[in-house]
Amino acid sequence: MPSVSMTVNGNAVGGDIEARTLLVDFIREHLRLTGTHVGCDTSQCGACVVHVDGTSVKSCTMLALQAEGCQVETIESLADGDTLHPMQEAFREHHGLQCGFCTPGMVMTAVAMAKENPNLTESDVRHGLEGNFCRCTGYQNIVESIIAGAKAMQG
Amino acid sequence: MNNVNIRDSVRRTEDIRFVSGQGTYIDDMNADGQLVGMFVRSPHAHAAINGFDKTDALALDGVVEVITGADWAKLGFGFIPSNSAVKENTDGTPIAVPERSCLAATRVRFVGEPVAMVIAETLDAAREARDLVEVDYAPLDAVTHPVKALEPGAPQLHNGVDGNLCVHWELGDGDATEAELEASDHVVALELHNNRVTAAPIEPRGTLAIPDMETGVTTIYQSTQNIHALRAAIAKILRLENDQLRHVAPDVGGGFGGKNSLYPEPVVTVYAARNLGRPVKWVNDRSESFLSDTHGRSQYTTVELGLDADGTFRALRTTTIGELGAYCGTVGAFTPTGGSARTQGGVYAFKAMHYRARAGFTNTAPLDPYRGAGRPEGSFQIERIVEKAARDLGFDPIELRRQNIMPKASLPLKTAMGLDVDCGDFLTVFEKTLAMSERAGFAARAAKSEENNKLRGFAIAPYLECTGGMPKEHAIVTFSKNGAAHLAVGSHSTGMGHETALCQILSAELGLDMDHISFTQADTDATPLGGGHGGSRGMELGGNAVRQTADEIVAVGKQIAAYQFECEVGMVDFEDGSFFQPGSNNTMSVGEAVSASFNPDALPDDLAPGCMNIGSTFERGVISIPNGCHAAEVEVDPDTGVIDVIGFWIVDDFGTIINPLLADGQVMGGVGQGLGQAILEQAVYDGDSGQLVTGTFLDYAMPRADDMPHMTLDYYEGSPTEKNPLGVKGAGEAGCCGAPPAIVNAVLDALKDHGVTHIEMPMTPEAVWRSIHLT
Repeated sequence: MPSVSMTVNGNAVGGDIEARTLLVDFIREHLRLTGTHVGCDTSQCGACVVHVDGTSVKSCTMLALQAEGCQVETIESLADGDTLHPMQEAFREHHGLQCGFCTPGMVMTAVAMAKENPNLTESDVRHGLEGNFCRCTGYQNIVESIIAGAKAMQG
Repeated sequence: MNNVNIRDSVRRTEDIRFVSGQGTYIDDMNADGQLVGMFVRSPHAHAAINGFDKTDALALDGVVEVITGADWAKLGFGFIPSNSAVKENTDGTPIAVPERSCLAATRVRFVGEPVAMVIAETLDAAREARDLVEVDYAPLDAVTHPVKALEPGAPQLHNGVDGNLCVHWELGDGDATEAELEASDHVVALELHNNRVTAAPIEPRGTLAIPDMETGVTTIYQSTQNIHALRAAIAKILRLENDQLRHVAPDVGGGFGGKNSLYPEPVVTVYAARNLGRPVKWVNDRSESFLSDTHGRSQYTTVELGLDADGTFRALRTTTIGELGAYCGTVGAFTPTGGSARTQGGVYAFKAMHYRARAGFTNTAPLDPYRGAGRPEGSFQIERIVEKAARDLGFDPIELRRQNIMPKASLPLKTAMGLDVDCGDFLTVFEKTLAMSERAGFAARAAKSEENNKLRGFAIAPYLECTGGMPKEHAIVTFSKNGAAHLAVGSHSTGMGHETALCQILSAELGLDMDHISFTQADTDATPLGGGHGGSRGMELGGNAVRQTADEIVAVGKQIAAYQFECEVGMVDFEDGSFFQPGSNNTMSVGEAVSASFNPDALPDDLAPGCMNIGSTFERGVISIPNGCHAAEVEVDPDTGVIDVIGFWIVDDFGTIINPLLADGQVMGGVGQGLGQAILEQAVYDGDSGQLVTGTFLDYAMPRADDMPHMTLDYYEGSPTEKNPLGVKGAGEAGCCGAPPAIVNAVLDALKDHGVTHIEMPMTPEAVWRSIHLT
């Protein structure tokens, strides 16, 4: 089996894995970081979004071996101890989640979106979420959360 | 202190773990020594099974066991039950409930039906073994259309079920309705289809069964909405006692009715774990979810509305064909019958109504409740026929509705469908929605659209629905000596936020700090009974169970306070977390009462230590009547057929609002699903092969963020119901009752100059374009 090494949430990790192992499965099954979720098998739902070298990526679209040497960040990296990241706080404040299953992917997508454009409009956010499904909220509070979270990230 | 009140928008406790990736969903759970299960599913819509060969699968490294349908049949277990509240046909004969085995042994009846389970040391081994189980099928003709299934000569699904008919049923006065229709100046009729959709919670279903070989108790962790009832059902099938199974739901990633039912997979998973003496975990992938989750809606309906020349409604007659799929689901025949009939006629006054349904079996996944379970169908039927009547007869659609809405003064009343409508002010809700929807500027906006070669439309759709689900609920409060409280309930949040809302009720009632209340739901060890989730029952049943338990705690607290105050119990009052004796300086906080409740010396003789730890069962008398009104403004591009829902306004009467933030979430989420049904979603089976065409999120069009409009919400809070102590009416399903007719009628308003009077849901760009250009 080939071996892989990468940095996940600031920690050097690695191991021997089957070549077909997806990055999401490496994160969930090998590293037991279960905040990254799997909601589909056709790369449509976005529950598995993580950051790879600072870019948001659906971790089901990438083999773990393709992340060799990369900096990977998952939802577990955002909070600073008990202090939530401003985007996480915004989702809570604006009721941007219900069942929570899509939330890690939403938050990771949102953080990347906000880093790229801190002054997001409603239209920017709605189009920016084209890769993320939520079945609970009707999206409105997610949009409000992301706009507010992006502002808070600047402060 | 973090005391909260009813109607505070308390931020959710559970969010802290959910936004941090610390939630625990079924696939996040693993047990030592765990095996992995996967299901072999039928590739045929209808076939006889001649035999199984599991030799190659068993020979694969890491494969522990393969259980085929034939193996399962030899074990002699029970069948998947169906508990429809409608059990008899109109003529008194029993409805048809065919046997459904957990694993099909001799015949499969839909694509995706489980025929075998493989159990292996790893997921990879299980996946490979699944492909090695050989099943010898002899394909049979299939029927996937609910109307065709009931026609003579259709392929027959079940021996002993003539003509594939499960149920024929009616409600209301057929003769009176016929007489009123005959006496009407106009009778307007419409045929419409309520499209087949699926709940599609983002988390797929799954189960982890952990057997304890010493105690004989198996703990079942399952992504479900209904743990008590399903434990009993699983136990009955496997011929176990209830207490041999503990059933727990961890965090559940959405349900919407799709996780209410008893499915075959958890039953076989529990059996496998007990038989092998090791934990077994099975989790569906998304493709399996589309094939094997229950679907919802699917009715072909004729609606007839009789009205006078001045527009006064006289009678409504609904004739519908529903479907069960291949087998009766857990609620089964109820959805297209009683579930759809109850709220017929919506908010309007009728002299007579009659509802008649037939529903049969098709070679498709079983249908069962999906958010609303019949009420959205009823709401769609009435609002579409009213709109058509207005268009056909030249009435203003707004005015025709205004004219026929049940006046407040007519309440309470029993509708012609037998629904007990106790309170509400439907006309005020209607006017409030209209006022919010900026009608004054519509003409200018429509003109602007026209300049851009777009067509603008508006529609308003009042709705009336009702609650449902298990009529009993239990709550238990257990105090620690330091005053911290633990609340356990049998109701179940799969995202609605009960961990916050129910603790909020307890905090408000007892004056307790929210931060000092912990919470358990969905654990058969935690409450003796529980009705789970369904029928917008969370606050109506769960909330009132908490309220009732709090009342009983206060009653005990008063006894403790009276003992200390040395006064009669009747002289003690309770307010804002304090017991006190008016006219004296005697006071005792809840915390002090809790502390005293553990001290035998501080208690009167008839109270024992721990006496403030109380569990109580709340029982609903009569179901509540949530109601409201939706309005939609849309823009249609006639060149492409694309619909843009631009504005959406909602006023709901849910009685008492416990937490507006969470109520808003329920409404907007429901509208999302309603919009999905109106313009995007449809579960499609190929008519010849019976294959599910919409088997992935690439084919099944779920609403995305840019499909949704900005919604403006408000509440009418002038009519809390007296049917329960909190005055709540239920909020969960309203969104998908109002949204489809509001959106569909708004699109038809936009297309009225093109002579388009009807388009079936989902109103895809193709359907809209065809209606403009090819009719």
